[in-house]
Amino acid sequence: MKPFQDAEHLPSRGTWDPSQLPRQRKGKTPQMHGRYPDYDVLAEVDHWDDVTRKLVVGRVENVPPYRFFGEREVPTLEAFCDCLTAQDDEPRIPVLAYVDEKLFENDGDGYQYFDMPTDQETWRTVARGLDDEAAKLGRDSFAVLVAHEQHEVVHRFDQGELYGGAWATFNVSRAWSIVVRYVCEAFYAHPWAWNEIGFGGPAYPRGYAAFGSPQLGEEEHWEAKEAVDVDAMQDTQRKGLD
Amino acid sequence: MLKTGSFAMPEANDSPFLLDMHERGLQNLDRMARYDEKETVDLLVIGAGAGGVTLAQRLARKGWRIVILEKGPLWDPDRDWVSDEKGAGPIYWTDNRIIGGTDPIQMGKNNSGVGVGGSMTHFAGYVPRFHPSDFEVRSRDGVAVDWPISYWDLKASFERVERELPVAGQRWPWGDPHDYPHKPHPIAGAAAKAWQGAKDCGIEMRVGPVSITNGVFGNRPHCIYRGFCLQGCKVNAKASPLITHLPDAIEHGVEVRADSMAIRVELDDASGRVSGVTYVHDGQEHFQPADAVAVCGYAIETPRLLLNSTSRRFPHGLANNSDQVGRYVMVQGATQVAARFPELMRMYKAPPPEVSSEQFYETDESRGFARGFSIQTVSPLPIAWAEHVTAEGHWGLALREYMRDWNHWTVLGVLCELMPQPENRVTLADQKDQFGMPVASFSHSLCDNDKANIAYATKVMQEIWSGAEAQDTLKIDRYAHLVGGCRMGSTPEESVVDSSHRAWDVPNLFVVDGSVLPTEGAANPALVIMALADRFATLLEEKNVA
Repeated sequence: MKPFQDAEHLPSRGTWDPSQLPRQRKGKTPQMHGRYPDYDVLAEVDHWDDVTRKLVVGRVENVPPYRFFGEREVPTLEAFCDCLTAQDDEPRIPVLAYVDEKLFENDGDGYQYFDMPTDQETWRTVARGLDDEAAKLGRDSFAVLVAHEQHEVVHRFDQGELYGGAWATFNVSRAWSIVVRYVCEAFYAHPWAWNEIGFGGPAYPRGYAAFGSPQLGEEEHWEAKEAVDVDAMQDTQRKGLD
Repeated sequence: MLKTGSFAMPEANDSPFLLDMHERGLQNLDRMARYDEKETVDLLVIGAGAGGVTLAQRLARKGWRIVILEKGPLWDPDRDWVSDEKGAGPIYWTDNRIIGGTDPIQMGKNNSGVGVGGSMTHFAGYVPRFHPSDFEVRSRDGVAVDWPISYWDLKASFERVERELPVAGQRWPWGDPHDYPHKPHPIAGAAAKAWQGAKDCGIEMRVGPVSITNGVFGNRPHCIYRGFCLQGCKVNAKASPLITHLPDAIEHGVEVRADSMAIRVELDDASGRVSGVTYVHDGQEHFQPADAVAVCGYAIETPRLLLNSTSRRFPHGLANNSDQVGRYVMVQGATQVAARFPELMRMYKAPPPEVSSEQFYETDESRGFARGFSIQTVSPLPIAWAEHVTAEGHWGLALREYMRDWNHWTVLGVLCELMPQPENRVTLADQKDQFGMPVASFSHSLCDNDKANIAYATKVMQEIWSGAEAQDTLKIDRYAHLVGGCRMGSTPEESVVDSSHRAWDVPNLFVVDGSVLPTEGAANPALVIMALADRFATLLEEKNVA
């Protein structure tokens, strides 16, 4: 079986090391690894309608400046977002910049738990709480903790096991669900992430004729081709590419 | 009975011909009526969604002078909508709501629309009928309440609306068996996998029913299978009242007043009749007088508006002297189970709604709970897929790997019928919105029957995937749809409106939206809301309502 047809790499079976993934050869992915090394969704922009193209290309090219978070919060929360999304190297999707924009523009998702403050206040409190955890380790900011220390704090946040100080002011598990939602929305709205996961992206006005129904065949010529081997050389040869 | 393919265009709705083949926006806005605010209109409708627009279109054809107030914009899909998951934000109602109870319901993109077309601009497109049993669950199953009307009171309305949307699907064997006007759409590989898995477990599925054109229908284009139904259809292939009813309504004299937030229905304390509605447009308060008012704001906003409309006669909110406004709000248990296969599924292609089953819709006492559920395919795009992954606690490297694996996955969801409960209700919070109006607070908790239903339905999905030899599964517990909150009933003590949608004690106030549903069935609510509006309009025409 080809490496991505079996399921042994799934996190439910063990830990997958992304350094084993093919390196991206075309376009960008976060950290330049992914499952579709020769796919760049941004090569398809000429097939998108004007309104969508402007929005999506603008998302990549015009990273919003920080207007909501302050100087102390930014490094703490950037490190937190990177930890949540396993971004340990360039290129990085600037997740926190999009979170900042959403909070600054009060572009909320339409609900607030009865036992939670506003999303803005939730994010500020999380920043304070993360720095409180760093202080317990004798450091000034969550941002200067080493990777395994950050990971440990985030793990306890995930488990709802952070107590006292900022954490005592709200429901920690709900706070986790809120920040995770913001972070995932920012990350997976970005075309570099679409390259990594092989998403077709905007599909108007082109649409799909080959969508897998037996009478119509499998896929469009331009769609992402999954790597057939984790080794880039083997993959290239087996796909019959140069 | 209507046979698939023996299809005639709707008789009293020219909407598909009033659209343009090459532009998605409405073509007859320059002909739209403009009523003066000093002029008393025949009917003022609050909310331009499934209920409000359908009602206005019907009555406009009978000569009624009608204004629709809509909080959000009048969309032009070419200009305002994007083929992008995050960029669809503006079509969801994202003004704040407070959520509570033991099982709080996430609002916004999941269940609330804003702007002309309402939530149908972003609903998946499934339009199953309610079953005859849905209208008599107290008599049959000893739970909840019977409706004051039966399936047979709505059957002709279901058929009319199905021709107007139009609905594509296979012959439907469940409930009251029927055909659909358009033939079923071809299905994608991901849906075929679900079909096979279900079949291997002895579960029948059918293609559809979806309100997506699959053939010639006026100037509505054919679906292009791009997979963005939940982000607003830029093609005009998927139905919403913006394109299925509003063009014809405008042609017959309806004014839709967009960006206009109704904040109070005004009552004349002397006569006990409503006199019109106060609304905010461009930061200014306006008043539109009307002979009658139909509130069509859905399960959260309709109760909120009535509760905020206090008077000497109704100190606790309009039509609320029995403390029924805002109660019995329902959502459906909508757990989804995703499954992993060796081959590429590419869920992003084809419409998210493809195949469904109502084999478990009715009560089966051997399951240990009352009522049932339906099963449907869904296709989360990347941001929604991340919710599936994080729901099982994955983050960091594990999140990224499950996300990279997305194209190998396909997803089934259920709609479990949950019970109406008086404490699952909308009230007014202390917090105010940008219009100075108290925001809605929605409290929701599951009862034991609800939990048993969801647990059983989840087990069935897992069995289907196990039968299909899935390599891995991911489960997310969630909820979908909103109905109830101003239910119709047989007595003023137990309901807000009577069987003709009229508020008890207020002769010229009507509620015509999903909030009137006494029970919710296991069907998606769009079709029944349109059908109720159609029936209500027929009652008015026949002067069955004073």
